[in-house]
Amino acid sequence: MRPFEPQLIPQYFVEVFPYLSVTLGVTVSVIIFGSLLGGVIAWGKISGGRVVRSLATGYTYILRCTPSIILLFLIFYGLPKFVLEAFGYDINGLSRAVFVIISFTLLYAASSSEVMRAAYLSVDHGQYEAAVSIGLSSFTALRRIVLPQAAVVALPNFGNSVLNLMKEGSLAYTIGLIDLLGEGNLIISRQYGGSALEVYTAVGLIYLGLAFLITRSTMLLEQKLLPQKTRPERIQK
Amino acid sequence: MELDYAFMVRTFGILLQAIPVTLKLTAVTLVLATPFAFLLALARIYTVPYVAKFASVYVSVMRGIPMVLQILLVYSLLPSLLNYLFKRAGIAYNIFDLDTIWYAYIIFTLGEIAVLSEVFRSALGSVGDGQIEAGLSVGMNRRTIYRRILIPQALVTAMPSLCNVTVTLLKNTSLAFMMAVQDITATGKIAASYGYNYVEAYLDVFLVYLIVCSLVQIAFRISEKHLGRFRHASQTSG
Repeated sequence: MRPFEPQLIPQYFVEVFPYLSVTLGVTVSVIIFGSLLGGVIAWGKISGGRVVRSLATGYTYILRCTPSIILLFLIFYGLPKFVLEAFGYDINGLSRAVFVIISFTLLYAASSSEVMRAAYLSVDHGQYEAAVSIGLSSFTALRRIVLPQAAVVALPNFGNSVLNLMKEGSLAYTIGLIDLLGEGNLIISRQYGGSALEVYTAVGLIYLGLAFLITRSTMLLEQKLLPQKTRPERIQK
Repeated sequence: MELDYAFMVRTFGILLQAIPVTLKLTAVTLVLATPFAFLLALARIYTVPYVAKFASVYVSVMRGIPMVLQILLVYSLLPSLLNYLFKRAGIAYNIFDLDTIWYAYIIFTLGEIAVLSEVFRSALGSVGDGQIEAGLSVGMNRRTIYRRILIPQALVTAMPSLCNVTVTLLKNTSLAFMMAVQDITATGKIAASYGYNYVEAYLDVFLVYLIVCSLVQIAFRISEKHLGRFRHASQTSG
C-alpha cells in the first residue's frame, strides 16, 4: 500500500484553493435565484388559489423526492436537447456552471420555499393586523413588521439549507465543472491516481472550513437579531 | 421533444428490478447506524467525558463534508488499507473479491450515525424529566424507564424527522453507483450510455425515485398513526 503522506496536504491545499471561487460563485448564484423562485413558490403556497397552491405543493413534493445527481443529469442532457428542438438554439456550448446553477436552483427553491413558508406562518397574524390597524399599508406592514420577525425564525433553517446546497454542489464535478472537487480530481488523474487521499483531505478541509463559517455566522446573526424578536414579550412583563 | 417511448417502457421495467438494491442500501444503513447513533446521543445527553466531545466533533465533521467526498475518500483508502492489513495479519482473503456494496454500507452508516444521533438526542430531550422521575418513583430502573417510557414517546416525536432522514438517505444512496453498486441510478446510467438515450433513461430514474420515495413516506405515515397510541397528552399537537 502506498504510504499516506500528510506533508503533501498543504501543497494540494494551495493548488485547490483558488477553485473555491467557482464553488462559492455557484453557491451564491443558486442562493439568489433559488430564493427568488422559492419566494414565489412560498407565496403560492400561502396565498395562492387552489390550483396555484397544489402546483406549488406538488413542485416541492416532487423535488424533495429527486436525488440531486439525477436532476443534474436530466438538466445537463435534457435541457440542450429541449431548447434545440423547441427554440432552435444550440446551448450545448454553454458553461457547465450554467447547468449546475439551473439544477440546484430548482432544488434549492423547493427547500427554501418550505423554510420561508414555515417562517411566515410562525409570525402571528395579529402582528400584521395590528400594523395595518395603525395605518401602515399592507406592503409596509409586511416589510417592516412581518418579514423581520420571519427572518429570525428562518435563519437556522436557512443556514442548514445553504450548508446542504454547498455540499450537494460538489456533485457538479460529475458533469465536468472544475470546482474544488473537480480540480482535486484533475490533480489526481494527472498523477495517474496517486495522492488521492492527500488531495481529498485538502478538499475536505476546505469544505469543513466553509461549513464552520456558515454554521458560525448564522448562529451569530441569530443572536444579534434575537432581541428584536422577543421585545414585545418583554414589554408585556 | 421526441422521446423514445418504447425504450422508456423497457428501461422502466429494468429499473424496477433495481429497487430492492436501493431499499437494501437504505435499510441496512439505518439498522447499522441506529445503535451507534443512540449511544452517541446518550453520551451527549449525559455529557460522558471525552465521548460527548468526540460525538459533537464527529457530528460537525460529518455534517461539513459532502457525501461525494466522503465516498471518494473512503473508497480510495479502505480497499487497499484492508488489503494491507489482511496481508499483514496473514488472512488469505482477497479483499478485492468483496462485494462493493459493503463499502457503501460502511460509508453511508458513518454519515448516518451523525445524522441519527442528532435526531435521537432532540427526541429524547423532548420527553419531560418528570417522566423519568415518575418512573423512578414507582421503582423502575433506568433501563426499564428507557425501554417502556422514554423510547416509545421519543419515537413518536422523532417520526417526522426519521421520515426526512430516510428520504434523504434514500436519495443519497443514488451515489452508490460510484462504488459500482447496481442500484437504481447505476442501472439507469448503464441503460443511458448503451444507446445514448440519456434523457429517457434519467426521466425513468426520476420517476422510479419518485415512486419509491412516495411509498416510503406513505409507510411512515401509517406507522406514525400506529405509534400514535404512545402519544402523551402534552404532545397531541401536530
